[in-house]
Amino acid sequence: MEVKKAIKRTISLFAISAKLDLVWLLRDTKFALAAILADAISNISVVSSVYLIAFRFGGIGGMSVDEVLFMMAYSTIVTGIFILFGSGNNIHISRIIGRGQLEHSFMQPLTLRAQLLTSGFSPFTGSSNFIIGCALLLISIYKLHLRITIWWILLLVIYILSTMVIIIARSYLVSSAAFYAPVAAEEISSTAIDGTWQLSTFPLSGMPYFIQLPLLTILPEGLMAWFPSLCLLGKTPMNFSEYYPLIYALIIALAANYIFRRGLNYYVKKGSNRYTPRGFRR
Amino acid sequence: MVKYFKTSHMACLEKTNGGILYLMPDIIIKVCTLIPLIFLWQVVMSTGLDVGMSMSQMISYTYVSTLLSDMMVVKTAASGWLSEGILMRLYGRPLSVLGQLVSLTIGGWVPMLTLFTLPMAILSPIFGVSLRPASHWFFISLFLCISLGFAIDILFACLSIKLRNMNWLISRIRAAIVALLSGTVIPISFLPFGFEKILKYQPFACLGGASLSIFVGIAEPANVLFLQTVWNIILWPAALLVFKKSQEGMVSYGG
Repeated sequence: MEVKKAIKRTISLFAISAKLDLVWLLRDTKFALAAILADAISNISVVSSVYLIAFRFGGIGGMSVDEVLFMMAYSTIVTGIFILFGSGNNIHISRIIGRGQLEHSFMQPLTLRAQLLTSGFSPFTGSSNFIIGCALLLISIYKLHLRITIWWILLLVIYILSTMVIIIARSYLVSSAAFYAPVAAEEISSTAIDGTWQLSTFPLSGMPYFIQLPLLTILPEGLMAWFPSLCLLGKTPMNFSEYYPLIYALIIALAANYIFRRGLNYYVKKGSNRYTPRGFRR
Repeated sequence: MVKYFKTSHMACLEKTNGGILYLMPDIIIKVCTLIPLIFLWQVVMSTGLDVGMSMSQMISYTYVSTLLSDMMVVKTAASGWLSEGILMRLYGRPLSVLGQLVSLTIGGWVPMLTLFTLPMAILSPIFGVSLRPASHWFFISLFLCISLGFAIDILFACLSIKLRNMNWLISRIRAAIVALLSGTVIPISFLPFGFEKILKYQPFACLGGASLSIFVGIAEPANVLFLQTVWNIILWPAALLVFKKSQEGMVSYGG
């Protein structure tokens, strides 16, 4: 009964965020549409640059042009989901912590978790990349003559979820620094997420092992699109298990949970030093 | 001139105020992107397809592009000056606003040039990269590229004034330009479908990609310098005029 109530409440919170997003779209349609368009153009240009290289050279490191397209589709879907659910700095969490805005969340009659989960949902202005990604995925599936089964679709969803967990967990992990150094670490999540975005679109096929391995472990950019795409194409790279992204996601999520909670405990005792008593930001 | 130099100095110190340690994440990300990028091009170029550039030229192209990335596509504080309150600071000083923007930007380059560009330039032989320009016209071209970059950035700043501080939108469009039209990530000459013939004449192609093509010796310096000069002559007066007209529309709410 409690679970049912919690789910219902979460859905209603998503609906509130969606409503706010729709209000922006209706009230400021011209600029909202411009923002949607700019978002789509920006992401397409990033993924198309890799695709154009693949097209010009007839593939990259053993991956065919269509396989690269499939990988770019996966990457675009991940970006799409990121924008769809992360429009309120709730994934770029160091900004909220660093700016002392976590205080605002404490005043709400909701758990912090519920607020962070639902506050960035923007289905009307933030779905363009997700839709484009799905379209690219369908085109690449058609070109690759992939046999689609229920299990394959389920696997796709699981891989996308694990990629999202890795992105969010890494962001929360590094953002914990903002509890201790709010000014210096305010934008650390941008470095962790946006700074590595280009790297996550690189097909690592054909690269030496000493490049591939760190990009699957220390800096998991290979898990953002390359590794799961090849798993979905039935070509799991480097003799790794196809469950590797899931295991990695679990480990990094546990680590992030532990470190973030410690930072939060520190924060509730010490507070934020970003604002002077008169309200100006330091 | 001394005042502008001091402004640059302040911008340099501002970047390192929190200590050099806080610049490390950006440096690490840059290094971690550059090395796989070199290997990506090695993998791609090993197909042996004739694209008018050898593998060593392509790697030098990528390496220099990353080392001088701040100069290849100039980004000044004007991109976020309205929302971040920088605008108020600039208008409160007895110096030209555009002059300060240029000084602040150049000063802001210094920490990365010292902590990333210089060490990576020293380490370049390890990666088998040659950093000797094919033509000394590269330096003139780089100057024109930076100058054009400032003009384009001012136009983007005016666009943000016009669009009521839509910094997010502007930054996304800029990112798209950097990725495709400037030639700093992929040389314009590599683009398929005949795009390269059309795109090489647009102003963004005269930014980093143009200078890099002289650096590695795949373009005739005279042609590149001519185009860069023409776009500078067209865009600087346009930027100054638009900026003059836009000033009254500025609304700043940050700080």
